[in-house]
Amino acid sequence: MSAETVPPASSPRRVIDARGSWCPGPLMELIAAIREEDVGTELELLSSDEGSRKDVPLWLEKAGQTLVGMTSEGGVDHYLIRKVR
Amino acid sequence: MKRVVVLGGGIGGTTVANRIRRLLANEVAGGQVQIQVVDREGIHAYQPGFLMVVFDKMRPEETKQAESHLLHRSIELVKAEVEKVDAAQKKVLLKGGREMTYDLLVIASGSVLHPELVPGFSEAAHTFYDLSNAEKLRDALRSFPGGRIVVNVAGLPYKCPVAPLEVTFMLDDFLRSRGIRDKSEIHYTYPIPKVFGIDTVAPVMQKLMVDRGISIHVPFNVQTIDPAKKSMTSLEGDTLTFDLLVGIPPHRGADFLQASGLGDKGNWVPTDRYALTADGKEGIFVLGDATNIPISKAGSTADYEAEVVAQNVASVVRGGGPTARYEGRVYCWIMTGLTQATYIKFDYLHPPHPPTPSFAHYWNKTIYNRAYWDMTARAMF
Repeated sequence: MSAETVPPASSPRRVIDARGSWCPGPLMELIAAIREEDVGTELELLSSDEGSRKDVPLWLEKAGQTLVGMTSEGGVDHYLIRKVR
Repeated sequence: MKRVVVLGGGIGGTTVANRIRRLLANEVAGGQVQIQVVDREGIHAYQPGFLMVVFDKMRPEETKQAESHLLHRSIELVKAEVEKVDAAQKKVLLKGGREMTYDLLVIASGSVLHPELVPGFSEAAHTFYDLSNAEKLRDALRSFPGGRIVVNVAGLPYKCPVAPLEVTFMLDDFLRSRGIRDKSEIHYTYPIPKVFGIDTVAPVMQKLMVDRGISIHVPFNVQTIDPAKKSMTSLEGDTLTFDLLVGIPPHRGADFLQASGLGDKGNWVPTDRYALTADGKEGIFVLGDATNIPISKAGSTADYEAEVVAQNVASVVRGGGPTARYEGRVYCWIMTGLTQATYIKFDYLHPPHPPTPSFAHYWNKTIYNRAYWDMTARAMF
């Protein structure tokens, strides 16, 4: 799924700050957070790793989770994710 | 007198202590420097040997030696478990109540296996990350009649990142040598959307798997294992059944790191990737699995890091600064069968490109398995 903007939070949003971590670090931090949170939770993943741009959406698609939006600012990618299952 | 305390008697702690001793030989002999190594058991394991035990390529007794036989005679071995580090007071508190003071501390406490984090893992999975379980897997394979084998990595990071690849390829070769490959399936699972974490290596390994009829399931993040039904389900919603499960359990850093305020969420120590100093902590160096550096938790990593830490410890003891830098060097052989191997060699700036697997690389690995004790642990070269 591709999206260009990260909309405002519609519910409490958990921020996962994986800046400075290399692939697959950001993805593994996201997976750990998804394991912990309830269905319906929004998560915002911050990553400065280029390799994660491929792996994070791939994993979300495989896992049946929703990538609500993604933006890049100052070398940091912001992925907004909703846990739906 | 300056006190240098090393926490951990694995490859990193042992070789760094011996290297520091050699660099400060005069100071140690003259009583100006004392080096102490704290290790819970006082038994040193050559952990890459456990995989060799599974396939009868090393005997169990070849993988362990008394730590006291590996450390230079001038280094004190303290057999104890660490309770806590008080970085502000520069003290180490041991279980049982003993306190040790230090001027410089080296944390080489490795990683700890946590199979209990995956329900059903301990009951259902064979592993080869400790010696007793490696022997159990060896015995299970000796009587394996053929069937469905699943290789699973429960999470990242884990030590010896190539080991799941190795056991997969060795299982394939083993089953062929027993004449039961056609009665068997091998399924390889990995938590990320590729078979290995390094982009230049993953396609090479994937091709080897495809060529050998090994099924790939990625990403697969195991949630639960049902020992009775011999099945496992993943966070992604997939279910796999197995006759034999070979699993790599979740890893964490040592417990005392969290109690000491030194560990992150996984109990890994935030570490400067070049200087190998603990972030924000004076007089503390970190090496091997214990760091949070996003690089292979491998023996060679610890060995190369130990060179840097030893130089920096010696420099600081003599009034200088920690000027040596770790550039991310790693070297790992990858067994691609029972008698063939390749290798990966890389650093922070240069990714690996594994050469074509060959008997020659396997032979080099075999020689190193024997040379480890003198060459690496005793740091004789």
